[in-house]
Amino acid sequence: MTDIAPALELTGIDMHYGFVRALDSIDFTVGQGEVVGLLGDNGAGKSTLLKVMSGAHRPTGGAIRVHGEEKSFHSPSAATHAGIQMVYQDLALVDAQDIATNLNIGREILRKGPLGWLGFVDHKAQRKRSEGELEKLGVRTAAMTRPVEMLSGGQRQVVALARSATRITGERNGILLLDEPTAALGYEQTQQVEALIRRMADQGIAIVLVTHNFPLATAVCDRITVLNRGRKVADVPTAQTNYDEIVGWVTGARPSMFV
Amino acid sequence: MSMTVPKETNEAVAPAQAGVTAPVPSVRVESDPPGIRALIFIRDRGIFVLWALLIVGFGFWANPYFASVTNAVLVANAAALTAIFAAGVAVGIICGALDLSIPGVAALSACTCGWLLNNGQPVWVGLVAGMAVGVLVGLANGVISLRGFNPIIVTIGTLSITSAAASILVGGYTIPGLTDLKFMGTQRYLGVPAPVYIAAAVFIVGTVFLTRTRDGLRLMAVGGNAEAVRRSGIHADRYKVLGFVISASCAALGGLVTTAVVTEASPAASPGIIFTALTAVALAGVSLAGGRGSLPRVLVGALILATIDNGLTIKGIDPYWGTGLTGFLLLASLGLEKWISTTVSNRLVATAQASVHTGTR
Repeated sequence: MTDIAPALELTGIDMHYGFVRALDSIDFTVGQGEVVGLLGDNGAGKSTLLKVMSGAHRPTGGAIRVHGEEKSFHSPSAATHAGIQMVYQDLALVDAQDIATNLNIGREILRKGPLGWLGFVDHKAQRKRSEGELEKLGVRTAAMTRPVEMLSGGQRQVVALARSATRITGERNGILLLDEPTAALGYEQTQQVEALIRRMADQGIAIVLVTHNFPLATAVCDRITVLNRGRKVADVPTAQTNYDEIVGWVTGARPSMFV
Repeated sequence: MSMTVPKETNEAVAPAQAGVTAPVPSVRVESDPPGIRALIFIRDRGIFVLWALLIVGFGFWANPYFASVTNAVLVANAAALTAIFAAGVAVGIICGALDLSIPGVAALSACTCGWLLNNGQPVWVGLVAGMAVGVLVGLANGVISLRGFNPIIVTIGTLSITSAAASILVGGYTIPGLTDLKFMGTQRYLGVPAPVYIAAAVFIVGTVFLTRTRDGLRLMAVGGNAEAVRRSGIHADRYKVLGFVISASCAALGGLVTTAVVTEASPAASPGIIFTALTAVALAGVSLAGGRGSLPRVLVGALILATIDNGLTIKGIDPYWGTGLTGFLLLASLGLEKWISTTVSNRLVATAQASVHTGTR
């Protein structure tokens, strides 16, 4: 995955809360079409780093580059604008509305002509677009008119992922940040989400995956980055490591790669 | 912790998953089993069935007086005012806030209009001013609630303020003799009283707005999950305020129509308005949690209340029996809704799990 510039590049990110160093000069990159797993124990700094990427936190020091351009995010919407979408654990779907409405909210297709000037939505076109987008992602969930509250946990996760994915595939492929996408899912559903993550990467989306689920990480990630107490202790292609090594880095039993 | 998830599990099941490598060529629109569709139909359209049953029942029981066009017009007219207020309550709830200031807004709007007419202003000025009162109070409700205060308390506050303002404006007395408003009160067009047309217009516009337009859909979405809407890059707060404005505007309209019907503007904010409206809304299955509900069902809710009242009156039965019956209907509909929702989601989850293979690789 040697792109000219990585999709997202963080260099020397520091994050201090008073005397607490939540992040200590972290370097992190993810290229287009690459899935990078961000692992670590509770309190290792994964979530903090993810929040720095999503614009929810401003780092104390360090630089963020998106497609080679230096950016400074004042807010999550600035990050969204730069093509970064975060999928939260709580999914944030509108339960009472159907899949199509959920996928299209915020970027509705209006009807042509005078009805469009009045703000009338073209439901048919929206359904069609969403079906096309889901097809492109190779996803099959349920009828587009099914309310989200009537979907299983896996299907909801798929809808949430697809919603984010469809928002960042503009003229330039975006970056997707996933926070524990399979936390509440069973085996089958995890498989479904895993397949979707791979497919999104194949389409050129850069994906950062924060998870506690090591089997998932080893199955789906191209590269794995491990944090331990705010420092990066490992950054290896998945093919060159194994489950035991990762557990060692996460628990601190294995020395850092960078000393 | 999940760290202890043994890798063996993953590998042990992996061969099973290798067997289901059917590529999915296209997005297939799946349809639900008929049983589930029937349940969903009852949940979404059950109130129409209930109303039909009531009409048929009263039609036989109160024969020949109930089932006539004249009586239908009476029922519609009786339901019209409740329906206008119920539309306001429903939009408020759908958008995520129960607006209790409705009776106060209705009184203030009626008194503003009455006071202006009494002071020689033309009718249109009075009506516009009355509606403006609604919009302004709605804005105030919305903006104050957005500061993080509980909307119920905020609207109780504005209820007191608006009803006090109404009394102050008219000196505590009812303004009588407002016959200029007859055209939207007791006047009949094609044999149907004006309030019926007004209520019909409110519900047609409201339904189209909520289900067909971008802003309406967003309004409903904000009531369902404001955070989801916010993360889609939409100013969710604006839609919250819009909900309050629509709610208070319906209240103002209701106040004006009431004034037109009784030809006097009363500063008394009757809490009965909101409870009758709430009953209609609750019968229609509009969840107090927000985000769901349909205006046509609310309209039928109001019609059911009027039908029961009317039928029992024809049979010469005391009205408190009707109140009691409505209470039972309300509780029964709650129970039914709960049962259907649970059953549907249980069954759907069962089938979803069974078909998830085909949905993956």
